[in-house]
Amino acid sequence: MPNQPEPQNWPRWFDPRSRSLGTFGFILNRITALGLTLYLMLHLVALGQLAQGATAYDGFVALMKSPWIKIGELLVIAAGVIHGLNGIRIALNSFGIGVRRQQLMFIGLMVIAVVFIAFFAWKMFMEG
Amino acid sequence: MTTTSWQVRFKVYRQRTGQKGTYQSYVLEVDPDEYILDAVERIWAQHDRTLTYRHACHHSTCGACGMRVNGREKLTCITTIRSVAKNGGTVTIDPLRNFPVLSDLVVDMGNFFLRMEKSEFDSVASEEHANLPYEKSPGNAEKAERLVDCIECGLCISACPAANTDHEYVGPAVLAAIHLMYSQSPSQKLIDLADHHTGLWRCHSAYECTQVCPSSVDPAWRIMDMRKKIIGNRLKSVFGRQEKVKKNA
Amino acid sequence: MDKTLSPKRLEGSGRWLIKIISGLFIVIFLGIHFVVNHLVAPGGLLTYADVVAYYQHPAIVAMEIGFLVVVITHAFLGLRSILLDLNPSAAILRAANILLFLVGVAAIIYGAWLAITIANVKI
Repeated sequence: MPNQPEPQNWPRWFDPRSRSLGTFGFILNRITALGLTLYLMLHLVALGQLAQGATAYDGFVALMKSPWIKIGELLVIAAGVIHGLNGIRIALNSFGIGVRRQQLMFIGLMVIAVVFIAFFAWKMFMEG
Repeated sequence: MTTTSWQVRFKVYRQRTGQKGTYQSYVLEVDPDEYILDAVERIWAQHDRTLTYRHACHHSTCGACGMRVNGREKLTCITTIRSVAKNGGTVTIDPLRNFPVLSDLVVDMGNFFLRMEKSEFDSVASEEHANLPYEKSPGNAEKAERLVDCIECGLCISACPAANTDHEYVGPAVLAAIHLMYSQSPSQKLIDLADHHTGLWRCHSAYECTQVCPSSVDPAWRIMDMRKKIIGNRLKSVFGRQEKVKKNA
Repeated sequence: MDKTLSPKRLEGSGRWLIKIISGLFIVIFLGIHFVVNHLVAPGGLLTYADVVAYYQHPAIVAMEIGFLVVVITHAFLGLRSILLDLNPSAAILRAANILLFLVGVAAIIYGAWLAITIANVKI
């Protein structure tokens, strides 16, 4: 029957319309979780270059200096920072800490996330 | 004395069993301080007698008139038209999400009520237990009794992202009921219901339940407090100091 | 069938605690991993020689392998949790459990082998 819970409704997890701040936290957590898991696998495979010796690894790192890769790496850092800080909020809430102020906590932690991301962006793009 | 009159278009979800859902629009002259439920009633009374919807008390104690208004869960008997629309604007009315649609704005709440029953939900409790621990209770709180806050309207389940995809997830209202009953009489049955993949662990902290609850149940707080109790019990059991609870019969 | 009183618990407080504790360790290890790898080490560990020198410390090897274990545990428990949100059939869940376990163990063995291999490279 229509309108009932079904696995096919999963795209609606990511629909923030008519929803509150907590849902943004849920959406961000889920997207960053999937992104980071994918990156983890790629990272492990890429590090296999180390086993091939100095020429392979150094050549691979040279490839990674392209601006597009750097943007990708910044996205990974952003995902890690957002997921980690949001995770801290969820963990604290699950021990009864800060539940009534969860929206304030989310805003505060995301401000910290933006500061971290801005710092790493500066380090990566300005310092090289 | 003048009465304000607005012209508002109501886009209402229509569906018959076995058919695809569509929207039908009705333009009404309304007093903006009337409620959405008043408008729905007027559509039924004066425009379309085939429209089906639920209503009963009209003063937010029965929980029957929950619907989605402009995409957000509302108790329509206490939602003024002014709060969701402008003069000349449009209001979209949909049935609650995550419940099968029986007809138009009427959804099947049967499974939900069965689960509330399984949680041993009692709608009367002492003031002390009916109030949330962070709410102030009067001096004779353990002696006075009142109806508890939950009116079983289902808005929390409609708003919950986990309830979107898993029909076996009991939902925020049932978990809040478990918390309420557990705080009065801890039992292993309630722990087993809550500490389950269809219970507490489907919650992913979106907290929409508390945002949409019209009755100050604060299901999100209750879910997290129940988690704290269960995790605390589990850690204590490692050191042989588990809380004594009533065993299953 | 309403399985809300099903005795079989596919996810409970135990697995959740492991997810949270591994998450906490990730925050700690990732902090160390990132600060050392990219901020403290001169050149940011971007040459083969720097990586080999870094992995000469046994504590670093142990930490990085530990980091890998907690990351895999947290990530794969999380993936399983997302799958449970979709109310999978018993067969799909069983297949996913086996796949996640095998891939997870393989990733840990591979990562540990890599770390130990680099640690054994003579400078």
